[in-house]
Amino acid sequence: MAFDDLLKKNSVRSPWLFRINAGSCNGCDVELATTALIPRYDVERLGCRYCGSPRHADIVLITGPLTTRIRDQVLRVWNEIPEPKVTVAVGICPISGGVFREGYSIDGPIDKYIPVDVNVPGCPPRPQAILEAVALGLKIWKQKLGLEA
Amino acid sequence: MDTLLGILHMCIFPGGVFALVIGFLFKGLDRRVEARLQRRVGPPLVQPWLDTAKLLTKETLIPRTACRQAFLMAPVVGFAGMAVCAAFIPVPGVFDGLYNMGDLLVLFYLLPIPAIAVMMGGSASSSPFGAVGFSREMIIMLAYETPLLMILLATAMLVGKSLNGGDWGAEFSLLKIVEWQQVNGSLGFNPVMIPAFLAYLIFLPGTMGVPPFDIPEAETEIVEGPLLEYGGPLLALFHVGSALKTFVVLGLGVAMFFPGTICDFWLINLVWFVLKCLALMLISLTLVKSATGRYRIDQAFRFFVLVPTMLALCSLLLVWLI
Amino acid sequence: MAGFLKVLFRNLLQGPSTDPFPLVPETFTPDRLRGKVVINQDLCMGCGICSYVCVAGAINIEKREDGHTITVWHNSCCRCAACRQYCPMHAISLEPNWHSAHAEADKYKVIEQKTIAYEPCSVCGKMIRPVPEATLKKLYVHNDDVDLNHVRSLCPSCRQLEDARRSAGLPPAAEKKAVE
Repeated sequence: MAFDDLLKKNSVRSPWLFRINAGSCNGCDVELATTALIPRYDVERLGCRYCGSPRHADIVLITGPLTTRIRDQVLRVWNEIPEPKVTVAVGICPISGGVFREGYSIDGPIDKYIPVDVNVPGCPPRPQAILEAVALGLKIWKQKLGLEA
Repeated sequence: MDTLLGILHMCIFPGGVFALVIGFLFKGLDRRVEARLQRRVGPPLVQPWLDTAKLLTKETLIPRTACRQAFLMAPVVGFAGMAVCAAFIPVPGVFDGLYNMGDLLVLFYLLPIPAIAVMMGGSASSSPFGAVGFSREMIIMLAYETPLLMILLATAMLVGKSLNGGDWGAEFSLLKIVEWQQVNGSLGFNPVMIPAFLAYLIFLPGTMGVPPFDIPEAETEIVEGPLLEYGGPLLALFHVGSALKTFVVLGLGVAMFFPGTICDFWLINLVWFVLKCLALMLISLTLVKSATGRYRIDQAFRFFVLVPTMLALCSLLLVWLI
Repeated sequence: MAGFLKVLFRNLLQGPSTDPFPLVPETFTPDRLRGKVVINQDLCMGCGICSYVCVAGAINIEKREDGHTITVWHNSCCRCAACRQYCPMHAISLEPNWHSAHAEADKYKVIEQKTIAYEPCSVCGKMIRPVPEATLKKLYVHNDDVDLNHVRSLCPSCRQLEDARRSAGLPPAAEKKAVE
């Protein structure tokens, strides 16, 4: 039991990020790449790593307003991510639909289908705001593991 | 008794625990140094341990269409192969290596096991990305095993000829090779063996699957290929196997080319051995990784045939002629 | 390859250039960054041009008898600053505040909401939004004999009458009490 707790306590220091593009304009994706790849906002020092496979993911970053064409694929990929996972909606599009809201091809906002944990609005959000969202996501991950109230 | 001792060597020193500690330390250092080379801070040194801890807390998902037994067995096979392999690595001045008779050949047979495990897992996962990764892993394995065989043969023939008094001969005991070098000077400084050493430096990134030869597990092309469907504890086992393999291939390189000791005290020899492994890793893995992109699979195959195979062949011919 | 090695070596010597942001609270923010929308309630007249030009439909103006409420939902605002551009009163500004991450429970709480109360016209008693002092000063910059405080409390039609009276040289109308 103590070993289990030790594992859980340390597990939040290794959040692997996974990006889902739900019909985004790529602005937020570029910003996500910025937080990770350029030396200035190095996310690797928080233990983060972008992983290519949904099976390896811990924190899911969803961008885009969830278009009708991509809805089923997004839901399928999201369901393949093992628990416990934290879902972060990046940008205004997944949160509210943003400038695409009520468009004929938009099926969002994303929390109609997926239980979102953290929102980080912006068009796109600043890299620091995304880092803040990841930090907030870690807190929620701890709650999901039962480490924090 | 011998069997028991062998198992102990495989589980604690130098296989198992010791190799794991060193392997994870090296992986952490590798990520840290790579980050520094890119002007980043990088993750803490204990990051590989944290990653493993994290993966152990995640749930295990097995695809419905996967071949269950093969899917579950693959990481175990890869891990076990490398844990056994690590016990064969002689640490000069500390440990002589397990069963020192023809262990160079045993190592040659055991080294591809992680790659085979990855192929097995990839093909069992029934994912198309796994299938692509499988074929790529197969091609690159064929590409890097050829120079490895030639390097091992060149080393064995050089030492064997010398021990046989100039006649034809081959010495496949790693311990004998280490002892010969402690008397006659390291092979890494032997002009005949320098091409083979260079070939080994190129073989290292190939077998460890780091850029520019990370084609089978290319994240951005085929989303980690064979490892795509793995998650949780199974993936952790693959990572542990990879850390053990880091220790094995670096240790083999040091034992074959630079097995010198600096004094008689075992602890200092051990530290010296680890430092040499570290230097080898920084040069052939970290530096190469951060300076290069990724080859296409056909380019990588052609490169392996043209450069390391030719270098190793060069050494082999020189050894044969001289 | 050699060029790359040179760059790598130089990077190693220069040391990391990472912003220590999430570990320490300070970080770099440009002065003119378009962040959260702020509404100046002293200036907002509730004309509705902002909600008309807002591409993301983030601005809502609710008009009532005794005032109006203007609401900006940050989760829909795309920071284009069209509202700031078109606001005739310059009541809307975007402050360089990018701290936007919040938990899902707070999704509908991240708003900028201002309620502006109306006052009755001092002549006819109709509920009006009093014109801001600064705007009046601009409007009557050439009529410095006008009592701005009196004009401020008049509804548009009463103010028109007042202006006509003044042009005709008549004394200002006596203040009537609001409708009894």
